[in-house]
Amino acid sequence: MTPRLSRLIAAAAMVLPAPVLAQEAVEVTLWHMEQPPHRVARIQELIDEFNAANPDVVVRQEPQNWGEIYAKAPAAIAAGAGPDMLFAIPDFTPILKDLGALTSVEDFVSELDARHDFVDSAVEAYSYDGGVWAVPLYNMTMHLWYRPSVLEEAGVAVPTTWEEWRAAAEALTADGQFGMGLPANRHLYTDQTVYSVMLNGGAAEIYEEDGSLRFDNPETVAAYEFYQSMMPFSPPDAPSWTWGEAEACFASRSCAMILQFTVISTYETQAEGDPADLGVAPIPVREAGQEPGTIAYANAVMLLSPEDSPEREASERFIAFLLEPENYGRFLNMEPGLFMPVTADGAEAESFWSDPVVQEYRSQIEQVIANSENGKLFGFTSGRVFPAIAAISAQNVLAETLQDVVVNGRPPAEAVARGQARMEELSQ
Amino acid sequence: MTGAASGRQGRLAALLAAPALLLLGAVLAWPLLSAVLLSLQDVRIVGSQGAFVGSANYEKVLADPAFWRAARLSLGWVLANAVLQTALALAAALILHQGFPGVRVARTWIVLTWIVPTVVVVMIWRWLLSTSGGMINPLLVSTGLAERPVGFFATPEAAFMSLVFINSWRWFPFIALMILAGLTRIPADLHEAARVDGAGPWQRFARITWPLLAPTLAVLLVIGTLLSFNVFDIIWLLTGGGPAGSTRTLPVLIYETAFRGYRVSEAATIAVLSTLVLMAFAVLATRSLALSGADR
Repeated sequence: MTPRLSRLIAAAAMVLPAPVLAQEAVEVTLWHMEQPPHRVARIQELIDEFNAANPDVVVRQEPQNWGEIYAKAPAAIAAGAGPDMLFAIPDFTPILKDLGALTSVEDFVSELDARHDFVDSAVEAYSYDGGVWAVPLYNMTMHLWYRPSVLEEAGVAVPTTWEEWRAAAEALTADGQFGMGLPANRHLYTDQTVYSVMLNGGAAEIYEEDGSLRFDNPETVAAYEFYQSMMPFSPPDAPSWTWGEAEACFASRSCAMILQFTVISTYETQAEGDPADLGVAPIPVREAGQEPGTIAYANAVMLLSPEDSPEREASERFIAFLLEPENYGRFLNMEPGLFMPVTADGAEAESFWSDPVVQEYRSQIEQVIANSENGKLFGFTSGRVFPAIAAISAQNVLAETLQDVVVNGRPPAEAVARGQARMEELSQ
Repeated sequence: MTGAASGRQGRLAALLAAPALLLLGAVLAWPLLSAVLLSLQDVRIVGSQGAFVGSANYEKVLADPAFWRAARLSLGWVLANAVLQTALALAAALILHQGFPGVRVARTWIVLTWIVPTVVVVMIWRWLLSTSGGMINPLLVSTGLAERPVGFFATPEAAFMSLVFINSWRWFPFIALMILAGLTRIPADLHEAARVDGAGPWQRFARITWPLLAPTLAVLLVIGTLLSFNVFDIIWLLTGGGPAGSTRTLPVLIYETAFRGYRVSEAATIAVLSTLVLMAFAVLATRSLALSGADR
């Protein structure tokens, strides 16, 4: 090389930007709906660690919200501006799959399963039409939250059946306190509480095996009748509640009991934060002797980059990194007590149990895990998945039916029949 | 200036204004044209393709009771807001037109509710009206005005009235300032002369203030109607169109149909029909205003 050429190359190296000379890092974008700042911060912490250990990849997060993502994601994908990874719940995935935005991740999930052992139900919720459409990340389940001291003072035992539950709610409704905070909004939260009551009343299945709807049945009607009978013990603004109002009601002691995924962080920061006085119990069942169940959301992540693209490979590496036991516990504990592991080694991970809040509320979290054993999600039960559930869920038909009963005063049997008709219309 | 010179200047003016007018036309026409095209197809999810279905969506929407219910609610919403906002704004403007100490500060501060972001307005009212830690319910119960906490968004009537109140609370300062501007244009000597002639405050208001303020109010009525009709954020954030669809006005129905029901073309159809109604109203109102202006 002549001295002149050497000088030229040296000058070019100084002038040209680094990526022109070195291989450019692959940039991948993660959209998730975990908006609270502490969750965003924890995800960023893990992203920073991953990026530092993988200089050829740059992961960026862009927090979204559940209220908009159903509209925003399809539009962004259509415009070619979608993310590479997008968090999902089971009824969101069919929408993007039907748009042709997803390819099966079956091989990748099998690989991860061999390494970490996924909870079967978490994978089942995303397995249909000959593929697996998202990688399970964490589980969320709903429970009955109460303060032992409040129940003790009223001489009320923790309810285990519907009859006991109603009696407890009535006894606890006094002196400006509402016995049981139950929502009646046309909102996902109400879908979740209604379904939790339904499945504990023997109405977990809303589809027959052949895919026809079986929402209109005596068990569903009984569940709506029971729910209606609980409304007098709930605050009068419950028809406009979302999750936050229920947590605030419990934290402010306006509600003696609520149904919620978790209240640990709110209780810790906005209420008295006494672990000894926070109770978590299975959702009461219709008849004594039944096995209690709960609504369970296996949250997952969808991969949107084309197969065999560098972005897809980078996304898979990042997800594999998150599921490693030393990272997974910290990922789940972005909201301690809310996000439960979906892998066997994650459930035992030191990174999960060593969190100070988890240690403080260990008994409650163990109870949450125990309650979660019989977790179900409407439209995704018994290994059968009917993608029309996406439209039914998006329209909050379970909650809409409840409003028909609670707000319009329609008899539950009639409202449930109308609910089924609405579901049939939406399934077309 | 000769006629030929004037014509040349007119053509030059049109030529110079043409690019801006074309751009404006495209910006206005393109979304409207897109909506019309979408309404003639069967697109379910944003970004997907749909077959051409002609007027099927219009037939379906016009036969749907939910559309007519939303239309009635929108009409009620516009009327209720117009009445309440005008009453509040007129009262505020008449007070602010008086010369009392601190009136300048009051004129500035009244716009506060208008400049606060909608999300903040919603949070404030949600908290104030909540039964868990809110301020208004304990006040109602402690003063004996209510036996138990009130669910301001619990029943269809209560939710509708609460929304009208909150929306009016947010918008009346803007209208008040417009009316105040109209009041300042009324010559003070008219009031002075009427006072000398023995006219009382009500007579002066009815015979001088109101007639001279009427053109301003008429313009505000048109603008206010168009703005009120299109309100979506406050309704969506506070009630989501509920309970039981009792606050599902046309903009809420459009959003729900498109993004909850995954029927984008049907939503576009409702949007086109709504736009036609609003355009007809705007044209008629503008013509009426122009005619009344010519009469004067």
